[in-house]
Amino acid sequence: MNGLVVEGLRAGYGAVNVLHDVSITVGEGEFVALLGMNGNGKSTLLNAIMGFVKPSAGSIRLFWDGQSVPLAGQAPHRIVDLGIGYVPEGRRLVPNLTVEENLKLAARGRAKNDFAENLDFCFETFQILKERRRQLAGTMSGGQQQQLAIARALMTSPRIMVIDEPSVGLAPIVVDQMIATIKELQTKRRMTILMAEQSFFQAVEVASRAYVLAHGSIVHAIEHGLDAEAMETIRNAMMGVE
Amino acid sequence: MVFLDLALNALASGIALGCIYALVALGLAITFGLLHIPNVAHPALVIAGAYAVVLANMRGIDPILAALVLTLPFYAVGLAFYEFYARAFERRGRGNTLQSLTLFFGVSLIVEIALVVAFGTDLRSVSVPYVGRSFELGLIVLPYRFLVPALLAPAVILGLWLYMTRTHSGLAMRAVAHDERALSISGHDPVAIKRHAFGLATALAVLAGAALVIVGPVDPFAGRVHLGRVFAVVVLAGLGSIPGTLAAAIIIGVAEAFVTAFLSPSWAPGVAFAILLGTLALRPNGIFGTAR
Ligand SMILES: Nc1ncnc2c1ncn2[C@@H]1O[C@H](COP(=O)(O)OP(=O)(O)OP(=O)(O)O)[C@@H](O)[C@H]1O
Ligand SMILES: [Mg+2]
Repeated sequence: MNGLVVEGLRAGYGAVNVLHDVSITVGEGEFVALLGMNGNGKSTLLNAIMGFVKPSAGSIRLFWDGQSVPLAGQAPHRIVDLGIGYVPEGRRLVPNLTVEENLKLAARGRAKNDFAENLDFCFETFQILKERRRQLAGTMSGGQQQQLAIARALMTSPRIMVIDEPSVGLAPIVVDQMIATIKELQTKRRMTILMAEQSFFQAVEVASRAYVLAHGSIVHAIEHGLDAEAMETIRNAMMGVE
Repeated sequence: MVFLDLALNALASGIALGCIYALVALGLAITFGLLHIPNVAHPALVIAGAYAVVLANMRGIDPILAALVLTLPFYAVGLAFYEFYARAFERRGRGNTLQSLTLFFGVSLIVEIALVVAFGTDLRSVSVPYVGRSFELGLIVLPYRFLVPALLAPAVILGLWLYMTRTHSGLAMRAVAHDERALSISGHDPVAIKRHAFGLATALAVLAGAALVIVGPVDPFAGRVHLGRVFAVVVLAGLGSIPGTLAAAIIIGVAEAFVTAFLSPSWAPGVAFAILLGTLALRPNGIFGTAR
């Protein structure tokens, strides 16, 4: 089966360990939510998947088209080229390049041949980016920048999209649109999504499965459909209620 | 009449002078302006480029042609040097501007000493048909050799500007100073981009060297007079602005030529910094710089 498999991952910063024995899987076509309150290690896990944080133990593998590729130890740009599109915390756009230049920059390696097609798709999905394509990315509003960050990840022709808290700093109505658009990427474009989110209600509405991260460990994994009971368990786990 | 004559000639030679400054500053616009590496060795590399052109010219090769061919080995040297620099400095944490500054001062001295050992301290020049003759255009009298930088600088800057705005690696070079992680996420290797940019800057040194040695003879220490001015050009232009480099260099060149013609040549070297201070007071990011 195609997908991303993280097993027994340990990672942190210098002497401080943040993630303890974390295992998650994301199968092709799934929308997996990674839930957790501030500082519980969501971004650290995603950064480890992307190669920005080096794991001290465990494995991260991409299974695709019958191949198994280890991601741990590879440079971030290689991981992107292998098919993990990344929408990071803080968006990390290039402020002094235009919207279109930011998108063009990401059409690299495998994605080069899909440039025109990907750009059309991005402009179709995010109308505002088409209208503002000559505007400097740094002068866009927070919501527009978030759209651009997602579009940039789409430009890399990702097999799996890794999205870190897309709702941070946005007005509630903008958040709803954003989450709906991400959900459409899964339902209409059959994209595979791993999304970190601390807003529980946002995430459970769209996710097909969820993991709850607390103090750097997976304390709950909801493997089958998010029914009312599962939601109650997740919420308690997030709040630290036993 | 005499005034107009002086003024027109000052303007013409100032523009030519500005074009020379632009060529010398261009490599630094990349290393300092985009990569934020305080490459004080750049003018010394320009002089090394001038000597390489002199050597080729001794075998009868046209200096411009020689410079174009020499960009390749200079690019390679730039790549190798950046690799060394990145391993020795950049990957070991931050806050080492002073260390890098010391390194580049050292490189500068080593290049100068190597040139002294190899060629002595005598002035060296190239022999080409267009050195030594002048043309007249109304009141303006300008040596033909000044046309070389006046044509080369706009051509090189246009080429570089197209490269920076139209190609993937050009875009990546403009992005690298802002956010390396943004580049990684876009599928680029930031270290490779920086290495390439440094190689490009080093290759530009040999073009500048050719222009310098066509305009006048050089000695191993000829880079020193350019050092301060060239940093002034890059900062005045606005860090990383390529077209701005030409404009800033011409402003400084023309101002120096006017000061030389109407006040005294001894004031000329201070002009660049007077303009720089004046401009930064009004526009802290330089003429063409954007807020960052
Ligand atoms: N660069 C860093 N250096 C040292 N410690 C870090 C670094 N980044 C994060 N941490 C620590 O790692 C822990 C987990 O942080 P992380 O950013 O992964 O949490 P998070 O779940 O993404 O939180 P948030 O919802 O606030 O984004 C925190 O205790 C944090 O202080
Ligand atoms: Mg986070």
